[in-house]
Amino acid sequence: MNATVWKEKLSAVRDSFSVSIAQKPAVNPEELELRFLGRKGELALLLRDLKDIPLEERKPLGALGNAAKTEMEARLAGLKGAAGLSGPVVKADLDLTLPGVPFPKGSLHPLTHTMNRLTEAFLKLGFTMADGPLVEDDYHNFEALNFPPYHPARDMQDTFYVDLKDAAGKELLLRTHTSNTQIRAMENQDPPIRVFHPGRVFRNEAVDASHSFTFHQIEGLYIDAGVSMADLKWTVDTFMKDLFGTAVKTRFNPSYFPFVEPGAEVDMSCVFCKAGGDRCPVCKGTGWLEMMGAGMVHPNVLKACKYDPAKWSGFAFGAGIERFAMLLYGISDMRMLYENDLRVLKQVH
Amino acid sequence: MKILYSWISGFIENPPAPEELAAKLCRIGLKVEELKKTGAAFTGVCVGRIEKIDKHPNADKLALVDVNDGKAVMRVVCGAKNIAVGQLIPFAKVGAELSEGKLEKARIRGVDSEGMICSAAELGLEGYDNSGILVLPADAPLGADAMTLFPKADYTLEVEMLPNQGYCLSHYALARELCVFYGYKLKEAAVFGGEAPDSGVPVVIEAPELCHRYTAIVMRGVKGAKTPEWMAERLRAMGSNPKGNLLIDGANYVMYELGQPLHCFDLDKLSGPAIKVRRAVAGESFRTLDNADLKLQPGMLVIADDKRPAALAGVMGGLESAVSGGTDIILIESARFFPPAVRQSSKAAGIKSESSYRFERGTDPRLTPKAARRLAGLILEAVPGAKVTQFTDNLPVDLVPSVVEVSPEKVNALLGTGIADGEILACLKAFQPEVKDGKPWKFVVPSYRQDIEGICDVAEEVARYIGYDVIPTVSDMPMRPSSVTASWAVSAELKHSLASLGFSETYNYDFLSAKELKACGLKSEEALELKNPLSSDLQYLRPTLLPGLLKTLRYNLNRGRDSVMIFEVGNAYSKKPGRTEEISCAGLIFGDFPEGGHWKGGAAKADFYQLKGVMSRLFAGKGGFRFEKPKAAPSYFQPGGALEMKLGAGSLGYVGRLSAPVAAAMDLKDNNIFYFELPIGSAATAWKPEFWQKAVKIKPVSAFPHIWRDLSVVLEEKHEWGELERAFSGIQDLASARLVDVFKGKNIPEGHKSLTMRFTFSSMERTLTDAEVTERMGAALGKLARNFGAKLRS
Repeated sequence: MNATVWKEKLSAVRDSFSVSIAQKPAVNPEELELRFLGRKGELALLLRDLKDIPLEERKPLGALGNAAKTEMEARLAGLKGAAGLSGPVVKADLDLTLPGVPFPKGSLHPLTHTMNRLTEAFLKLGFTMADGPLVEDDYHNFEALNFPPYHPARDMQDTFYVDLKDAAGKELLLRTHTSNTQIRAMENQDPPIRVFHPGRVFRNEAVDASHSFTFHQIEGLYIDAGVSMADLKWTVDTFMKDLFGTAVKTRFNPSYFPFVEPGAEVDMSCVFCKAGGDRCPVCKGTGWLEMMGAGMVHPNVLKACKYDPAKWSGFAFGAGIERFAMLLYGISDMRMLYENDLRVLKQVH
Repeated sequence: MKILYSWISGFIENPPAPEELAAKLCRIGLKVEELKKTGAAFTGVCVGRIEKIDKHPNADKLALVDVNDGKAVMRVVCGAKNIAVGQLIPFAKVGAELSEGKLEKARIRGVDSEGMICSAAELGLEGYDNSGILVLPADAPLGADAMTLFPKADYTLEVEMLPNQGYCLSHYALARELCVFYGYKLKEAAVFGGEAPDSGVPVVIEAPELCHRYTAIVMRGVKGAKTPEWMAERLRAMGSNPKGNLLIDGANYVMYELGQPLHCFDLDKLSGPAIKVRRAVAGESFRTLDNADLKLQPGMLVIADDKRPAALAGVMGGLESAVSGGTDIILIESARFFPPAVRQSSKAAGIKSESSYRFERGTDPRLTPKAARRLAGLILEAVPGAKVTQFTDNLPVDLVPSVVEVSPEKVNALLGTGIADGEILACLKAFQPEVKDGKPWKFVVPSYRQDIEGICDVAEEVARYIGYDVIPTVSDMPMRPSSVTASWAVSAELKHSLASLGFSETYNYDFLSAKELKACGLKSEEALELKNPLSSDLQYLRPTLLPGLLKTLRYNLNRGRDSVMIFEVGNAYSKKPGRTEEISCAGLIFGDFPEGGHWKGGAAKADFYQLKGVMSRLFAGKGGFRFEKPKAAPSYFQPGGALEMKLGAGSLGYVGRLSAPVAAAMDLKDNNIFYFELPIGSAATAWKPEFWQKAVKIKPVSAFPHIWRDLSVVLEEKHEWGELERAFSGIQDLASARLVDVFKGKNIPEGHKSLTMRFTFSSMERTLTDAEVTERMGAALGKLARNFGAKLRS
């Protein structure tokens, strides 16, 4: 090969490169790089041919070849969009689809996630977390909450008793609701008071898909001068909107809990309904979901805590955390929450 | 509670349709859980008999059947498989009204059919076998209207009753609610309106505090009082099994109708005869209606005759004084008992009845004469010769109605509404038309509403009356600062850290069995015990979270998993005074990590150091966190295999390997289980809940390069790293001394080990010189040699 032929070949390679790089749709730059600049690429082979050309002619040809190479590299880099920062192409045997290093993945329980979110909603509304025991006395679990002894309202909450007695010699029990913390909070501080409490409760009931002898509740209490049921409705509505979005509606229906009067049950408009609400499996086509209990604190409860009902009024509202968790995570059997099957738990991050 | 539409609507003038009635009950807080159509509503169907069955000439699955309707024989085409000659069947003639419409004359596969043999569904009947035609009982009269064999079409409503709704526990009472709230006109039931002398059987109330009223009617000549079919039908629809004896069924009927439980005594069987309402005395007992010998506790309210108790007041009557087919003279009891007394008796005797259910919730004291008269009227209607010979109404206490002063301002203040005075007054008048104008209104509470005690109760009635939607959703309540408790903050932080380190959070039950306690080496006599557990598996309260976590481990291993990292935050309980319940955080690891290995390299087996590392991570940056050798770790740890964690002065629980016997007793195949538990309470005392307190003050770092040197020494095995580490304190400019390698074996003498440490030095002022670093390394080696006899490894 002489210098002229080599020059022609070089310009053919350059032309061919120019055509290829201008092609529409664009060619993969790695492919072009391999074809022209790779170890067995067209330009590389041509440069190798220089060894057959006399030494004195080789030098300028080499410079030409290198200039072409630099140009091609720059254009390729331009095509890659990273203007020459990409560095060399990876080795062909690198399989990027191999799995990454499995860092251990733990999980928080769905009830914890739910409880945390509900807690956050209470905090935003200015409620401070209060505490109360799970092993409780009859007074704080029932009597002070306007469940007198031998009152049929006690049938609503079948109770576990433990082999310990309180100071008055009465058997201690496992709290049947989180409302004991209402009494504890009012005993500990003077009004105004705005508190909430999430926690575990117990009922002596057999376990099935929607009942458990152990479950969780969260409830809030607000006492101040001149608190009205309108305040309660606003608070509950804002609470639910925080959790389920501002499009959600709430409505109150009359209901009964011994420690409130008037008492209400709170429905939320169904957020799970797709079009054709008649077939919604969550709300059964009613458009409403029963979510909470609420009401104005009963004067007997205020009196029990030495708050003067003539001066103070307030509201309380609460919910079962399992109810929220089951709706949110699409769980139809409550037992799943206590089975602790890691195949289930690890789905929730 | 079940309500029949036909029954309740009988008390309302121009009653609403069933669906509307149900919706109206719901709106005022009486939740209708189910509205169901019952009974039959067809016409033109009679009792027919199958005389002959032939094959249909053109269809294999059809038959030609000759049906006799008592007058003629007709040929019909029938496709049912359960037909047989001689059967009595519901036969619908052309023109019959069935559930799917009017029956037309039909020609089926070329043969005319003159009627249809019906299935239960075609008759609109629910609760019958619907797999073929409905076969009627053999004693059904041939040719009779088939409607007479079935209850008439009706609706049943299942209404959820809340404990404060004692005033709603009957058809009449619910009708009254609808009338009060929606302005319907209430109709009354027909009662016996005659008079009779208040003499004959003495009725003495010896415990007026427990029995507020006792109305008694004595009737003679009631023998053979049969329950009329219409009443039996209603009782069946209520789910009550009518006995056929009107004296029994009638009492139940009036209870369902008016809400007043009644009882009939056979007067010939009462000693005296006399009625004494008194407390039981020690040693008394009686045989209940369901033939059980009931020992009475002193103080229980009983209805006694001259000699002995004949009924447990409000709960159940006695067998010996019960009415029977031969009963001719009865005493109808219609009383008002103190609700807690009835509940107490019912609980103590372990008997719940429809009667005790109503008495517990408070019956209307003004209702007793009306209910007794209602039953008397029903008996008189059914038994022409019967006579009322005594009417006694004992009221030991005056029925003073309670009066609530209602000011519209208070109602509006409580509800947050601006309801006009007139509207509130209209609500009060709906209950009590006699309310006089002139504020504050004196609202005389109707006797049936024992639950209305104060202004809040009245406000609720106003809200129910107008509708809860009248209450606006507005508030001007002030903002308040909020915070969480320290134990919540600590728990939340630990939960998040553990989850991000690969642990899954579990929620286990608080209850466990004696066997599980024993398996974990725990004493059941020290554990809190339930007095009334659901079962012996759920008898004790967990003294530690360990058993639940081990069960969860086993559960998951049994489902094919081979590696488990779990934790829980929950209560542990104890009988020790002051330590009844403590929040604990506990967890365990077992198996290979990463689970199932990885293509880049094998998995490591879980060991103590992994869990120890987790603990160090959890408490990184918490001042004073350290591990110490425990004086006594809980017995479920392998002896010598656990460390105690300390934060400040307090103990922060333990981390270590599970003991082999516990693993075996919990059915786990080995004890390569590493467990930690720490009390949240002691963590919380050392924890700073507030962010401003929690934020660590950041130390400046040196602007000059640090220098590190490795040092390998050989020393006796007995010296522990923890001791060595402490010895390095005081070496100038030492930033860290990190253990890089522990080696035993080749070239290391028996009973010795080689430790390689990396010492890093850093100064805030300057770059240390080589000579300085060498000198400091000399100091370190010197300490190791002096204190532990360590020699430089060559």
